Amino acid sequence: MNKIKELTMFKKVATLIAVIAFAASMTACKKSGSKADFKIGIVTPSLSASEEEFRAADALNKKYPGMVRHIILPDNFSKEQETGITQIASLGDDKDIKAIVISAGNSGILPAIQKVKEKRPDMIFVTTPIWDDPDMMSKYVDLSLDTDWVRRGESIPEKAKKMGAKTFIHYSFPTHIAKEVISKRKDKMKETCARIGLNFVEVLTPDPQAGSNRQAMLQFLNEDIPRQIQKYGKDTAVFGTNCPMQDVIIAKALELKFIMAEQCCPTPLQGFPAAMGLEIKPEESMDFAKINKMISEKAKAAGVTGRLSTWPISVSIFLPTFGFEAAKAAVEKKIDLKNIDQVKALAKDIAGVNVTFNPMKPGMTNYYLIIIDSIIY
Amino acid sequence: MIKKYLPPLPQVIIIVFIIILLGLAIKIDIPASSLINDLFIRLILNCVLVISLIPMVNSGAGLNFGLPIGAVAGLLGMVITAQFGGKGLTGFLLSIAVSIPFAAASGTVYGHMLNRVKGREEIAATFTGFSIVSIMCLFWVVAPFTHPQMIWVLGGSGLRNTIGLRGFWEKSLYNLMQFKAGDIIIPAGSLLFIGIIIISLYFFSRTRTGMMMNAAGENESFARINGVNIEKIRKLSVIMSTVLASAGTCIYAQQYGFIELYSAPLMAAFPAISALLLGGSSGKRVFLRHAILGVILYQSLYLLSLPVANILLVPEMAEIIRMIVTSFIILYALAKKSEERGDV
Repeated sequence: MNKIKELTMFKKVATLIAVIAFAASMTACKKSGSKADFKIGIVTPSLSASEEEFRAADALNKKYPGMVRHIILPDNFSKEQETGITQIASLGDDKDIKAIVISAGNSGILPAIQKVKEKRPDMIFVTTPIWDDPDMMSKYVDLSLDTDWVRRGESIPEKAKKMGAKTFIHYSFPTHIAKEVISKRKDKMKETCARIGLNFVEVLTPDPQAGSNRQAMLQFLNEDIPRQIQKYGKDTAVFGTNCPMQDVIIAKALELKFIMAEQCCPTPLQGFPAAMGLEIKPEESMDFAKINKMISEKAKAAGVTGRLSTWPISVSIFLPTFGFEAAKAAVEKKIDLKNIDQVKALAKDIAGVNVTFNPMKPGMTNYYLIIIDSIIY
Repeated sequence: MIKKYLPPLPQVIIIVFIIILLGLAIKIDIPASSLINDLFIRLILNCVLVISLIPMVNSGAGLNFGLPIGAVAGLLGMVITAQFGGKGLTGFLLSIAVSIPFAAASGTVYGHMLNRVKGREEIAATFTGFSIVSIMCLFWVVAPFTHPQMIWVLGGSGLRNTIGLRGFWEKSLYNLMQFKAGDIIIPAGSLLFIGIIIISLYFFSRTRTGMMMNAAGENESFARINGVNIEKIRKLSVIMSTVLASAGTCIYAQQYGFIELYSAPLMAAFPAISALLLGGSSGKRVFLRHAILGVILYQSLYLLSLPVANILLVPEMAEIIRMIVTSFIILYALAKKSEERGDV
């Protein structure tokens, strides 16, 4: 009998301690959150799935301590969609969270947004990007952003021409050309080249996704680029559609002094670090101004000033960062997301160069495809 | 006697195919000198990797589908040397020296494992190679390297996907004793280096241990009766193959100019094995001449088929023809191997 009494006593004390601890932790929470009176949720893939978006969110967390709730999507989103949706919907339950930025590069996120909007119509959503039905997204999402992949078929040859190119070489391989975006972009490049008077040359490499391995493709590039440059001269722009190609193309550009107008994924972080042996210390790792300066110097040393170009900031870092700043400004009532001029001005502030916004479909006022102005090293 | 050294019919077919391609290449104004220069480069890139297969085949341990194990040891040797500031030809030689202990250690474990799966070596080796590459993917991320030319641009730690060797020892062996004969660049240093490896392997095969190795591969029971310690000799051959593969990887990176980490060595075994089989080896007994002929033929096919096809045909066609020809010859070699073994 006594033992049972002791046990209930113990339970009561334990409950009391738990309650006190919980209350203390709540106040502690409030204290640390008091730096900003609202929070913004940011959703990104995991570090192993996509490094750049994750690091961008991490950097924002350091810049605005206490303001960021960083949610990480499951590694294999398409198989664990439900987990992802629950995670995003749970952000809506936190009354402090006034805006959510989703940088997923996946489809199937829209249900989560609909769910939150039902409960909290005031919640601001910015997507950078998600790939659901554009009409539906336009209805629920306050601002949707994505890179204008196909229109680059126009902007790249135009830039190459400006840089002095007379010939434009497009390196790709059969399984890549079969992808819709890449073949559409190639057709657009061909069209643009014909319009502005560039000689368009298409070269196929061994296919690293069917039969040959990657090394065979890269070795072919190593041999073929000098041949083509000998044939068409130095004023030739070389474009490769596959990420590993960029190391070789840029290394060869330093040697043979042809034009590299843009990589397949426009960022100073692709190709340049390996081809130029950039020395980037840990504390400089997110400092694009410094990285761009380093590339300019290396280009000058190799005598290729004005021959290499890309976007001055990685688009997968720019989009989440910009989305977050836009959402923050909208919560603080500093800008109106419907006013494209204000949005453009903010984008220019963050990128450091002009950003072009094109509506996804004619008449859409909250879904834009962007192209960032280039830096020529 | 002379007939013994003439290539058999399948190789003759490839040679004819290559001659046709070469004729077409010259007809469309691809200079022969640049083709020869590129062929030399391709030989340097691949020769040692193909030769590295020989000890294991001859000792009866099969075609080394676990070549990525040696490749990874080579990569490890290179990044360690680069981290400590190795440069130029010394840096390159050091990278080989540093990778040898890793290759020998992993080769010992790998050899022990292959002895336990006797009869199924090739499939076991394939998966060992795949898993070692995946395990090392984790290692490259967490390893405490700090050289600013090697770590990730964004995170500030972990090794990059590709590390440029321009500031380290790019083409240091290629430029050694290199001279020009007309338009043709002769990389004498590289050829000498590879020649030394080939000659020492040749002399090794004449030693007592070398002969025991060949005997173990040719007829295991007979060799055992004659007092050959089969397990030990097989393990030694695996260590030799792994060490050679690691050296081959160092030579490859030196010539290519980049160290490629992560999944890059995953399929490293396949082109090397294809070249060996293409050279006329039956997959049971290999001579050095098979390896050398194989590399030349396999790489010439790559070298010639695409540039010619990009201009003359629908480019996909050349890829397909090249794949049909190489795959059929390899299939022929494998069928011949089964026949010799008495499986058919």
